[in-house]
Amino acid sequence: MIRRGAAKGTRFSAERRGTYYGLPLLKEPVWGPAIPTYFYLGGVAGAAAALGAAGQLVGGASFRRMVIRARRVAAVAAAVGAVLLIVDLGKPRRFLYMMRVFRPTSPMNLGTWVVAATGTASGLAALLGRTRAGDAAGIAAGLAGLPMAGYTAVLVSNTAVPAWNEARRSLPLLFIASAAASAASLFDALFDMSAREARSVRIFGVAAKRGELAAARRLERDLERAGESTARPLHEGRSARLWRGARNMTAASLAASLLWGGGRRGRLVSGLLGTAGAMLLRFAVIEIGKASARDPRAASRSTGA
Amino acid sequence: MNDPPPAKGFFTDATLCIGCKACEVACKQWNQLPDDGASFTGMSYDNTGALGSTTWRHVAFVERSIPPEERGAEPGAPTLTWSMVSDVCKHCERAGCLEACPTGAIVRTEFGSVYVQPDICNGCGYCVSACPFGVVARREDDGRAFKCTLCYDRLKFELEPACAKACPTDSIRFGDVVDLVAMARQRLARLHSEGRTEARLYGESAESQPGTEGLHALFLITRPPEEYNLPADPVVPTKTVRAAWVSLARAALGLAVLAVGSAVLARLGERR
Repeated sequence: MIRRGAAKGTRFSAERRGTYYGLPLLKEPVWGPAIPTYFYLGGVAGAAAALGAAGQLVGGASFRRMVIRARRVAAVAAAVGAVLLIVDLGKPRRFLYMMRVFRPTSPMNLGTWVVAATGTASGLAALLGRTRAGDAAGIAAGLAGLPMAGYTAVLVSNTAVPAWNEARRSLPLLFIASAAASAASLFDALFDMSAREARSVRIFGVAAKRGELAAARRLERDLERAGESTARPLHEGRSARLWRGARNMTAASLAASLLWGGGRRGRLVSGLLGTAGAMLLRFAVIEIGKASARDPRAASRSTGA
Repeated sequence: MNDPPPAKGFFTDATLCIGCKACEVACKQWNQLPDDGASFTGMSYDNTGALGSTTWRHVAFVERSIPPEERGAEPGAPTLTWSMVSDVCKHCERAGCLEACPTGAIVRTEFGSVYVQPDICNGCGYCVSACPFGVVARREDDGRAFKCTLCYDRLKFELEPACAKACPTDSIRFGDVVDLVAMARQRLARLHSEGRTEARLYGESAESQPGTEGLHALFLITRPPEEYNLPADPVVPTKTVRAAWVSLARAALGLAVLAVGSAVLARLGERR
């Protein structure tokens, strides 16, 4: 059951010592590109739902358009995300089996309920508009959106993959901050907004991008502390390039929103950069996990503490 | 209802394994698992490589050359050592795959074994990453996850699992886990008394392996576990996930504050 080339290059080197012919100890995560894309969309949905609910609570009529748009973005992102999740299953027709149980030990099971709640509530809120029922649904969507924005970080932390497991304290912060940055970036890129709405999105987005960069540094520290082999995917190979790319894009997006201010063109540039950064981040995290699972030296030294 | 029978499991003893792979063949045959294609790995006599979705027993061959200064002087003195052991699903006392499974497809059977129900599994792949031993795998042609069943269909009829039945040296013992642990300790004491102090048990108790709370398939090995591709200190991920939930709760609260705060600030900024 060897995958060709699994131990390539390491077979006769010192790297092999203390391993089984340099072969991976763990199985590589099986998730395809649909999953990091879903991680991004799930973040957008959760943060947009929260943004919509906040506009509703604070603004009265003044955030009217933003609230409606937030609900639509959340509903569409959750729906597309759900389709991506189903497509990635080995048996897509059995997707409803996720909901035959309620299983607190499984972040994936809890997540399914959270996605269903966020999607349903924001869909209802978008359809019903600014009626009483619509606003109630909007608040429900906002509440469900909070865990929705970042539960996927708990999901990947709850694995035996060393880099993911060791990132369990920083990854939820990173995903939530990045979710907020994603939603702000999408609003910046897509929508014309009133001055007040644009200002609110800008404050939200700038804080979120700062948070994303800070959480990324914290994750790096967590992995370095766990050991050289655990941190290696941050420094070597495709995962490292994706990780650096994500950080650079987010930093550039932050710079654009700070320097360029609230003009339409500045918002477009900053929004596109922020979106690219948030997407790359999810692909980077998946790639880091795959690289980490392939490294038997990282895997044999499981920590737990 | 009757009490469930005592937990069943394996004790696999590297000092008795002759590397014949009868366990691999018997497992494939009984469970009607497809072949994995023939390949020559160059890794001692191991052309199987690892456990997988269609390989539920795997004989590891740990081959070491003896350094020249430690070799015997007589002609024909051995220049290398072998240690073989047949790896298998550990049927952990606390199973990461089972706790991660979002559909409830993975269950604990009346024999204490961990079983993937093929009619429920929807192929999400979460168990694959939740197993600290790299045991569970998804079959790409089928889409579902598979692993050792402890021959559930044989246990139902009071037959021992195919691998244990086929093992010609009783390196693989099947029985009640409590008996196997006693047997393993006895065997270890005997080996130690014969001067084979390198022998050690793997996963025989919750104390020795808190990360899994002990294995229902325990091992006696003569080399460090990593050399057999067994993790030195496996930890079931659900044991540490609390920290992630706490962190998520904090971050989610931060998101709520930020969302409301940015709307409030945007309004205030206008009045000034």
